[in-house]
Amino acid sequence: MTDGVRKVVLPNGLTILVLENHKAPVANFNVIYRVGSRNEQMGKTGLSHLVEHLMFRGTKKLKPEEFSNIIQENGGEDNAFTEEDLTAYFELINRDHLDVPIALEADRMANFEPKGFDSEKAVVIEERRMRTEDNPQDALSEVAQAQAYVAHPYHWPVIGWMHDVQGLTLQDALDYHRVYYSPQNALIVAVGDFSADAVIKQITETFSNISNGPKPPPVTAMEPPQEGARELVLKHAAELPAFGEAFHVPAHESPDCFALELASVILSGGKSSRLYKKLVIEKRMVVDVDASYDLLSFDPTLFWITAQMRPGIKAEDVVAAAEAEIKQLATTPVDAQELQKAKNQELAGFVFGQDSIFREAMMLGQYELIGGYKQLDQYIPSIDKVTPADVQRVAAKYLVSSNRTLGTLVPTGLLPHPSGGPGGGAVRHAPINWGMPL
Amino acid sequence: MRRLAALCGIIGAAAIAAALLPAASARALEVKRVKLDNGMIVLISPQHNLPMVTASIGFDAGARRDPKGKEGLASLSAASLMEGTRAMSADELNRKVDFLGSAMDVGAGSDYATASFTSLKRYWRDTLKLLAGVLTDPGLRPEDISRKQAEQVAGLKAAEEQPGYVAQITFLKEVFGEGSPYGHLPDGTVDTVQKLSAQDVRDFYRQFYRPESAVAAVVGDVDADEVVKALNESLAPLTGTVAAQKPSPLPPIGSGVHLTAINRDVAQANIIMGFDGIARSNPDYYKLQVMNYILGGGGFASRLVKEVRSKAGLAYSVASYFQAALFPGSFQVVLETKNKTANEAIAMVLQQMKRIQESPVADAEMDSAKKFLIGSFPLKLDTQNSIVSFLMQVQIYGLGLDYIERYPGYIRSVTKEDVQKVARQYLHPDSYILVAVANQSEAGIKVASSAASGKQ
Repeated sequence: MTDGVRKVVLPNGLTILVLENHKAPVANFNVIYRVGSRNEQMGKTGLSHLVEHLMFRGTKKLKPEEFSNIIQENGGEDNAFTEEDLTAYFELINRDHLDVPIALEADRMANFEPKGFDSEKAVVIEERRMRTEDNPQDALSEVAQAQAYVAHPYHWPVIGWMHDVQGLTLQDALDYHRVYYSPQNALIVAVGDFSADAVIKQITETFSNISNGPKPPPVTAMEPPQEGARELVLKHAAELPAFGEAFHVPAHESPDCFALELASVILSGGKSSRLYKKLVIEKRMVVDVDASYDLLSFDPTLFWITAQMRPGIKAEDVVAAAEAEIKQLATTPVDAQELQKAKNQELAGFVFGQDSIFREAMMLGQYELIGGYKQLDQYIPSIDKVTPADVQRVAAKYLVSSNRTLGTLVPTGLLPHPSGGPGGGAVRHAPINWGMPL
Repeated sequence: MRRLAALCGIIGAAAIAAALLPAASARALEVKRVKLDNGMIVLISPQHNLPMVTASIGFDAGARRDPKGKEGLASLSAASLMEGTRAMSADELNRKVDFLGSAMDVGAGSDYATASFTSLKRYWRDTLKLLAGVLTDPGLRPEDISRKQAEQVAGLKAAEEQPGYVAQITFLKEVFGEGSPYGHLPDGTVDTVQKLSAQDVRDFYRQFYRPESAVAAVVGDVDADEVVKALNESLAPLTGTVAAQKPSPLPPIGSGVHLTAINRDVAQANIIMGFDGIARSNPDYYKLQVMNYILGGGGFASRLVKEVRSKAGLAYSVASYFQAALFPGSFQVVLETKNKTANEAIAMVLQQMKRIQESPVADAEMDSAKKFLIGSFPLKLDTQNSIVSFLMQVQIYGLGLDYIERYPGYIRSVTKEDVQKVARQYLHPDSYILVAVANQSEAGIKVASSAASGKQ
C-alpha cells in the first residue's frame, strides 16, 4: 500500500506525505499537528480542542467561518478533530481545487487571529453538554478513564473538564498556537487524483516560508503500574445500567499489540465473537457489548470492554459473565479456526478501509507519527504471525483484575429531581476521588 | 469533532441521502442496467481499483409497510432474516460470514428494507450465496424471532435515554399521525413490538420480499456479466411483485404553534421545529435544495449556523432539512441548546424562516450555494458504498443514468425568485410543530400566547 507514497521534509521541519489515487476525481488534504489533550496542563484541559474550533474563526486575512465558506464554494467539505495525541484538519475536495485548501491551511498555520472567542467557547460548552453531560455512557467512560490514569494526561477528557473550559482565555489559545502550530510540529498528508510532483511542489512553495516558534516541550509523564483493582460508581440521569472496564496495555511500542488487537476481535468482532454470542445472543443480558483497543496510541493505552444492560439485568452479573470469557481466553488456547477467522476479519477491514481516501490518508499519517508510514506495510504480516499461545499470553498478562478499572453507571432515572439538583447546566457527575486509587 | 451530530441515522438512510444528493462534473460512471430472470432490476458498476465488492438489494419492505398497531414489523422481519436458513442455524451463518471477513446485513429503513454485503473480491460469491440463502429460504424459527424481538425491545428502551431520539419519534408522530407510513421510526415502539408474533414476521416476509418490486446495485472488482449470472442463479427462487402503496393524507396542522414538551433531566433542550414537506418526485426539489442550503442545510454557509452558532454561541449543532423520499416527508429544524436559551434559539429560527420568505437572498448566497451543490458532486461517488447508494436512488426515483450530467443544469436554472417563492410556499413559521425534550422548569418554553394549542 505504501509503495507509491512520496515523503519530503522541508528545511523548516514540515513533513509531507503524498500518494496518488485515481479512482475518483477527488483529493484529500490533511494537516495533522502533534498536539492533543496529552500536551495539556491540569486546569487548562480542553485547550487543544478549543484551539481547533478557533482555527475556523479567522486569520489576519480571513473573517470567522470564511475558511469553510471558501472550501464549500470550491465544491469541498472541511472539518477537524482533536484526540489525545493529535489534532487533524482535513478537506475533501474536487481535485481541480486542491490549491485552495493548501493556501488556506498555510494561512491559518502562520496567521492565526481568531475573532469571537467568547461565542466559540460557548459553542464548545454546548458540545460538551451534548456529547458528555447528556450521554450517560460517555459520562461513564470519562470518569473511568480518569480513574485508570492517575499520573498521565490521558487522565482528563479530550473535550476538557467543564470548569477548565469555562476558564480558558484567548491568550491561552494564542500561546498554545504559537508553540504547537508550527511546521516542525506538523505533518501534511495528501491523497487523491493528482500528480504527486505537482502537489509536492505546490505544498513546498506555500509552506516553506512559515517559521517555527519555540520547540514544543516533550510529554514526560508516565503512568505507574497499577497494583490492584479500582472501582467507581457514576450516578447519572439514565434508565439502564452500564459498565466500562479498562485494562492498562501497551500500544504499538510492544510486539504484544498485535495479539491484543486480535483478542479484541475474538471478543467482540462480529456476531460470532465470544462476548456478543454469550452476552447478547445466549444470555440476553445486554443491548450491546464492545471490546476496543487502539494500538496507534502514542503512549500506553487502555483495553476497554463496555456494555449497556437490558432492562432488569444487574451490571454485576454481566461483569461476572464477561470476566468468565476473559478468563477463558487466558487459560485455554484459542482454536486455530477461530484465530484464523479473526485474522480474516482484520485483513478484510484493512482492505475496506482503503476504499475511503480520507481513511487511507489518516492511516498513513498516524503511522508516520508513531515511527514511520512504512510500518503500515507490516501490519497484516504481523497480525498473521500471531499464535494461539500469544493471545493466551497477553490475555493472562494484561486482562487481569489487579490491572482493571471498573466503572458502573447507576441510573437515577430520566426525570429531573424536584429540588433541581446542583443548578442549571452544572456538571452533574457524582463527585469522584479522581487521582487516588481506592 | 467540530461539527454536526449525525441526526440522519435515526431517520432512514435512503431518505436522507436523497435529500442531500447533489451532483456535478463527476467522472462518468460505467453502469450496466439489467433485468434479472426473476424481474429484479440490477445496476452494476465495475470498479477495479481495490479487491473488494459492495452490493445491496432494496425490497419494497420498509417500515412504511408496517400495519397500524404493528409498527416495528418491517424491522423485526429484516432482522429475523439474518437468523439463518432452514438448513443453517444463525450461529453457523454468523461464523461463516465472520470467517470470510465479510459484512452482511438485512435492515429496514422507512422506504425500503435493504439486504447488503461488503466482501473481499475473492469471497464475493460465497458472501452472495449466504445472503441469497436467507432471502430465498430463511429459517424464521419462532425461537430466533422471539430473541430478535427481545433485542429490538431492549434497543428501544436504550434509545429512550437519548433525548434527540425521543424528540424525533415525537415529532414524526405529530407531523404524520400515528399509524401512517412515516409516523414512526423503523424499530417501532416497545408496545407495538412486544405484540408481534412469529406468524406476523413470516407473513410480512412472504408478502413483501418480492423481486419485481426490488432494486439492486453491485459495485466493485467484478464484471457485469458474472454478477448477472450469479444473481440469476442465487435469487431464482424469488418471484412476484408487491402492489404499490399510496401515501396516506397528512393530518392538517392548524395555525399556531403545536408544542409537545417532554420533561427530562438533561443539560440541553433538544428541539425540533417543522411541518410536512415534499416527496423526492416534487418538481420543486432542486429549488428547495438551494433554498435550504442557504437557510440551514449548508453548514457554516447557512444562515441558521451563522446566527445561532457562530454569532450567538447558542448551539453546537443546528440544521434544517427536507426529508424527501418516496412519499412527502417532513421539513425539520433540529438543534440542541442549554435549557435556559431554548426560547432564544427558537425565536432565532423563526426569524430566519421569515427573513428568507420576506426578502430575496443575496446574489453571493445564491452563487455560493450553487457552486457547492454542483461542485461537490464527485464527493458523493468516492467510495463503493456511496456509489451503491447513488445507483439505488437513480433507479428508485427514476433519475436516469445520465443524472450526473443533468444535475448541474437543474441547479443552475434556480433563480432568487424561485428561492423566495418556495420559501413562501413550503415554510410555515406561523403554523408549525414544536417538540422540546428539556428540563422544562429551566427551559420554560414559551409560545406566542394567542397561537399556542399544545399539550404538555
